[in-house]
Amino acid sequence: MTRTLHLGGCLGVLLLAWATLIWRSDSPGGSVHAASLPKVTLNAESIGPRPIEQRTGETVTRNYAQAWQDLAESLDRNRTDLLNDYFTGKARDRLTQRISDQRKTGLRTRYVDHGHRVRALFYSPDGGEMQLVDQAQIEVQGFDGQKTIYTTNSTQKYLVLMTPGADRWYVRSLETVPDDATP
Amino acid sequence: MPKIILTVRLLMVLLAVPALGQLMGLRAPSTVSAGSSFSITTTGSGPATFYLLGPSHVVKQTIQLGQDLPISGSDVGASGSYQAVACDSVGCTSTAFYVLPSSPARLSFLVHPSRVPVSAGNAINATALVYDRFDNTVLAPTPVKFQFSSSGAAPYTRSLATARGIAWLQLGSSSKQGPLQVVASVGETAEPRVIQQVASEACGLRMQAASSSRSVRLQTDPIRDCSGNPVPDGTVVSFTKIDDAGRSTVDTPIKKGVARAQFAVSGRARISVACGVVLGNEISIGGEP
Repeated sequence: MTRTLHLGGCLGVLLLAWATLIWRSDSPGGSVHAASLPKVTLNAESIGPRPIEQRTGETVTRNYAQAWQDLAESLDRNRTDLLNDYFTGKARDRLTQRISDQRKTGLRTRYVDHGHRVRALFYSPDGGEMQLVDQAQIEVQGFDGQKTIYTTNSTQKYLVLMTPGADRWYVRSLETVPDDATP
Repeated sequence: MPKIILTVRLLMVLLAVPALGQLMGLRAPSTVSAGSSFSITTTGSGPATFYLLGPSHVVKQTIQLGQDLPISGSDVGASGSYQAVACDSVGCTSTAFYVLPSSPARLSFLVHPSRVPVSAGNAINATALVYDRFDNTVLAPTPVKFQFSSSGAAPYTRSLATARGIAWLQLGSSSKQGPLQVVASVGETAEPRVIQQVASEACGLRMQAASSSRSVRLQTDPIRDCSGNPVPDGTVVSFTKIDDAGRSTVDTPIKKGVARAQFAVSGRARISVACGVVLGNEISIGGEP
């Protein structure tokens, strides 16, 4: 895990607390596919009301990166089955519908993922929901058959709701929002 | 000669001006409310293929350029970023717009835990997530009203504004056991939840003993918590006897508010009672109390 430590004379306890606030998806705790995972940096300095535990931070970061990897592959290959591992609820329903429509119309979408700067803002006291805001740098290419119909390359803001499952965190909601929509 | 060239160039420019007016283009409003119909203006002429790509929906249809293209509200239910694309035989053009959530219409209301001991501070967590009728997170701050009511206590209300679609609060349980109803509401939409407030740990646990020649019968006083709520039947009470034969324990559930046990005794014995982490009184049998 990459730790951001503010060493300016803080107490040891404070150092430990700060140390748990930023995680990256390419940390040693990542999965075996970590090398191909999108780069995700999770900053939890502003999270509340519940503080985030170190292991939870690592897991959320890794699972969110894995979700994006699956999202990109499923939209490129029009395979809804790839959404089952890290998406649930509304997020999975919407992506499933999108892929189904793409398949019907002969379209596909390629995401070239240049990384995510994620801030964790809300973690419910019972640990049941975590809300994130993601500044994602993603190049999107739309294809109709072999023909490129559009390309965008911009920073896109996402409002994300993740919920815990038995052994992982799932993306339950993934909504693009205008830049000025959230702090 | 230069005059001829200039004239030809001018003619070419003049001929190109009408063609420039026919360039394919799309113009969409920068934002649209979810579920609202609107139009995309197209420029150019001739047939083209139009694509609308949203978070959960893709439209592909043939259009005539130069006409306004009506977009049905059902095509823009999901909030988020959309791409409108038109392609003709020459190439493609695209424009992006946002679909914003519409007005609040739905609540997802989570209350934890479902059972809570009485008089426990900040033991109840209530989180409300506010959505529009298309399940989009409502980003605008929205007041959520939380109403609390339980038997024997005056109902009360707290109102909180959402931040990024979420309103939450923590509260303590009351001193009386029984159901606590929590209703979260936004506009006409209300979601009720019920939490069972149960007695806390036993308080002032005491037992009485009735000895015979070879045994002792034990019975507790009615077991209540410190607020006077009866500890529920089924809660285990432990009676422990220590005598010359060693230590023996009988675990017995509370029935009708009290717990009973019986030990065989020979000689002196000390018997204690406990319920959970609470220790009760101790009784000596066959000697000084």
